[in-house]
Amino acid sequence: MQNPTNKTGRLIAAVLVIVGLAAVLYNVVADNMPKGEVRKIADYTPWTPETVEIAETIPIQNGGRIKPLSTYAGFTMLGFHGARSMEIEGKDGAIIKLKPMAWMLDALFRPQLSIQQPTFRVDNSAALEAIGVKPRGKRDRYSYADLEAGREKLLELAKSYEATDAKKREPVQNQIVDLALNLRSYESLLGYFGFARFGVTLVGSSSGATPDQRADISAVMRTSPQIRQQIQETRGQGKALEPRIQGLLEQVLDAANFSKFGLFILPPADAKNLTWQSAGNAIMDVMSAATDESELAIADIKLMESAARAIGKDEATFRGELTVLRDTLAKRAEERGEYKHIVQEAGYYQKNWFLYAMIFFLVGTLSALAMWGLGGTGLGTLLAWTTLIPTLLGLGYCITAITTRCIIMERPPIGNLYDTTIFIATAVTLISLLVELMTRRRFALGIAPILGVLLVILGRRFELGDAKDHMDPLVAVLNSNFWLTIHVITITLGYSAGLLSAFLSCAYLLLRGLRLDGGDKELRRALTRAVYGMLCLTLFLALIGTVLGGIWANYSWGRFWGWDPKENGALLIVLWTLAILHARLGGFIKEWGLHFAAVFTAIVVTFSWWGVNFLGVGLHNYGFTAGKDTLDYFYAFILLILAFGVIAMLLDKNEKARSSIG
Amino acid sequence: MNPSPPFVTRPADLLMENSDTPPLPKTSKTLPGKIFDVLSGFGMATILLLLLGLLTWFATLEQIDNGLYPTLKKYFYWKSVFLLPEIKGKMVPLPLLSGYWVGALLLLNLILGGVIRIRKGWKHAGNLISHLGIIFMLIGAGVSQHFSERGNMAVGEGEASNTAEDYFEYVVEVSEIKDAKAGTIHIIRGNDIDDLKEGKTRAFRFPNWPFDLEIGGYMDNAQPVSISERAPDHQQQQADGYYLTDKPAQENAEANTAACYARVIFRDGKKGAPFILAGASFHPFSIRMEDRIFTVDMRKRLWPMPFTLKLDKFTAEFHPGTMKPSKFVSEITRVENGSEAKVTIQMNEPMRYEGLTFFQASYGPPGAGPRQKMYSVFEVVRNPADKWPEYSLYIVALGMAVTFLIKLIDYLAASSRKNRNAKPN
Repeated sequence: MQNPTNKTGRLIAAVLVIVGLAAVLYNVVADNMPKGEVRKIADYTPWTPETVEIAETIPIQNGGRIKPLSTYAGFTMLGFHGARSMEIEGKDGAIIKLKPMAWMLDALFRPQLSIQQPTFRVDNSAALEAIGVKPRGKRDRYSYADLEAGREKLLELAKSYEATDAKKREPVQNQIVDLALNLRSYESLLGYFGFARFGVTLVGSSSGATPDQRADISAVMRTSPQIRQQIQETRGQGKALEPRIQGLLEQVLDAANFSKFGLFILPPADAKNLTWQSAGNAIMDVMSAATDESELAIADIKLMESAARAIGKDEATFRGELTVLRDTLAKRAEERGEYKHIVQEAGYYQKNWFLYAMIFFLVGTLSALAMWGLGGTGLGTLLAWTTLIPTLLGLGYCITAITTRCIIMERPPIGNLYDTTIFIATAVTLISLLVELMTRRRFALGIAPILGVLLVILGRRFELGDAKDHMDPLVAVLNSNFWLTIHVITITLGYSAGLLSAFLSCAYLLLRGLRLDGGDKELRRALTRAVYGMLCLTLFLALIGTVLGGIWANYSWGRFWGWDPKENGALLIVLWTLAILHARLGGFIKEWGLHFAAVFTAIVVTFSWWGVNFLGVGLHNYGFTAGKDTLDYFYAFILLILAFGVIAMLLDKNEKARSSIG
Repeated sequence: MNPSPPFVTRPADLLMENSDTPPLPKTSKTLPGKIFDVLSGFGMATILLLLLGLLTWFATLEQIDNGLYPTLKKYFYWKSVFLLPEIKGKMVPLPLLSGYWVGALLLLNLILGGVIRIRKGWKHAGNLISHLGIIFMLIGAGVSQHFSERGNMAVGEGEASNTAEDYFEYVVEVSEIKDAKAGTIHIIRGNDIDDLKEGKTRAFRFPNWPFDLEIGGYMDNAQPVSISERAPDHQQQQADGYYLTDKPAQENAEANTAACYARVIFRDGKKGAPFILAGASFHPFSIRMEDRIFTVDMRKRLWPMPFTLKLDKFTAEFHPGTMKPSKFVSEITRVENGSEAKVTIQMNEPMRYEGLTFFQASYGPPGAGPRQKMYSVFEVVRNPADKWPEYSLYIVALGMAVTFLIKLIDYLAASSRKNRNAKPN
């Protein structure tokens, strides 16, 4: 029988699909487009890809591990700029898209060009007004040159706000503190190779009309034993240090201070020494005789000087010097056994697997919508294949990316919130396809790429907002590959199953409410059974995962259960799914009720997965607050679906009652 | 033309159960039978599970403002029966049975419904096993709450200790001093005095001593204040120029300093002047009587260990170039009856010995230099149900595995039957 409201339902569904797709497309495009207006930098010429490639594989110690410079550049740019690319108008009006490594090469080697780039994202113009810089709009990006006039005021305000606990600060105060921190970090990059560019002036070395001579820091370092001896002798005689020497030391100290932070790229030769050196530290250690590796440090500094000086020549020369520097540092890192994943990691970020996964899932989503639109027709069957293939490809990219991350990190796939997001994207897609394999109804097939694309977008947005390298090592208590594998993966699979059951039930409510299922009871029953199965799986994984977590906690902290928010969140999933299954067994909920409950599971899972992180307490607290609004919108969306379902159920029952009277 | 349904239509699936709603069990007609039905029913199970979920959710939110320990005492301690939740400091007008009693009812429901009343037969064997596992876990939780002890032991490098200190429990320690040393010691435990609030007092008898002790006015977190510094603001009891001011409970309950008032009861029944006992005081109160000296002190309970633990070396390692900890390792010597054993305690690798478990909890001093002497802090736990959750997990996992296996076999068998029936004759 033709359902009278079927057309309206399809229209509503079409509108919902268009709105949803528009949101997804906006996110896909927004994630990958450069931000802010295109700045004109008249003298700017881009780096050649060969130069960028060399720089990418320079090893650096950061965040407690050795990583490629490209990774450091990527997350530093994300932190400052809020994106991994920016567009500028260079020489002859050419539009150039700057990626992180090129942006960092500018900051390190061409600071005069770098300071014109719109590096700093400012989300609240009030922060700029407070430091006396005229804002362009409420939210925009600014160059160092734009902010320089307000620098002193910025640092002064930030210092005064830092005395207050971050949680108690006004948003604009936090923005000022963050901006000041970013500005200082950026300055440490700008000045890092300053010692190599300028060297020191040998005051009093002029002869006649010629100015004072300049000397390399490396040359001064080589004379450090003589300088120390002279200082000792002078002190021994109770005399003041000769102004010429005093001036020289002050210049060396200044130069070292500028390159003391930022890049810890000099591996010690002694394998027992785990901490790498920055250029500034190496200079000071040699000058103060605090190292046994003076010759090595002097050679390193000399290489850095050669690279920085070559920038004034042509790029090929610079590339040659940079290659020598990279190879020297890489060889030493390799000897220490710390270079094994550098090339692989640089490649990981170049390959951008999650971007491709997102694109394939998006193609799968479009195909799935068309497939559902056409139903069980011949074209529908073809579209089922065009849904399945890109979904499998997207899944393949996700699995490849996660596997590569595991190899690089030398630990199981999940250790932080970002890891959970990409893992759940993969797991949900995979489980959906397995459900499809068992049901062959195409609803799970269609849901797979939709959830895949949404969760990959969530992961990318989180990475953008957090701007932290999520491959960095974990704190001591989490440092157990055994427990990370069996507890964390199990509980995260539980989240995945819970979310999938919720979205299958959302599909049920929308299909039935909008009369898109053509009154097909078998289809409804199949969906109900799939949801029931997913709820059982959720319970199984959440319960086992939660108890395993308790056992781990008992090993680490001496208690099985501590009522920590994260533990409570997992327990809530267990209790909620148990309540659903018992209510169903008792006959208190039937088909509609099971789906309402399953939809609500999304809120319970999301609270456990994301919500507890915003509470700011507990041992599992990740300590971030960005994105709380998004979570509230998600809760509202789920409640809206539930409200829609309740209305649909009442209308359905009303209709049935009328038809039975009729 | 009818638009096609969006999904493939085919005969009913056999993935899950064969009916959407299982038949309800038979109901009893007698009153005891009806009570049994209610207590063992799915309805009771559902309500209790939801209630426990609600309590967990409220407790999660309330600990943000009130701290973990007070929240747990309110929501899950056996002395708390009913409670009103709070969100952001505002009372929610929803009286709830406390978690301990909900858990107890759930245990009863599980035994009656999940073990006694459950449908028997090999198809339900998995559920029965899972229920038994959960029952074991809940009993374990109860045993832990009532019988476990926790404390901490701080030991410096090269030093030894055989005493742990309780995290929360304040006790009154009454000692007779002989030759400048504590002789006989009487300990009045925290749970014997922590209810002595709002004018309630209790006498503690020491038959072999010339006096007894009366204690009252207990406060969980209080500070003695001199009247000369600040006058009492609401008629607090005074003792020797001091009175106690009640302080709001600390979010970190370990930082609370309990206090109370006490007075000596002489053998003739007369009572001495009140004096203050406070966790925040540095010195005990002393009593001189019949040429004997006694001291009365309030302090966190000390817990003697059956062996001595000597810290040989403590190492704190950080991920290079960061302050992110990578490893805390305590190398210790356990000394017992003259014999020594070398043991290493680190994160995720505690020492379990003679029913006690020592965990690497903390260290100090913060920011210590390379040559500075370190100390290590161990969390000491005695929990008779220490391993029960682990064992219950195995039981539950086995039960669930059996259930899923049976379902899978059912499903495969049904699919096979269906395929046979679908073959053309």
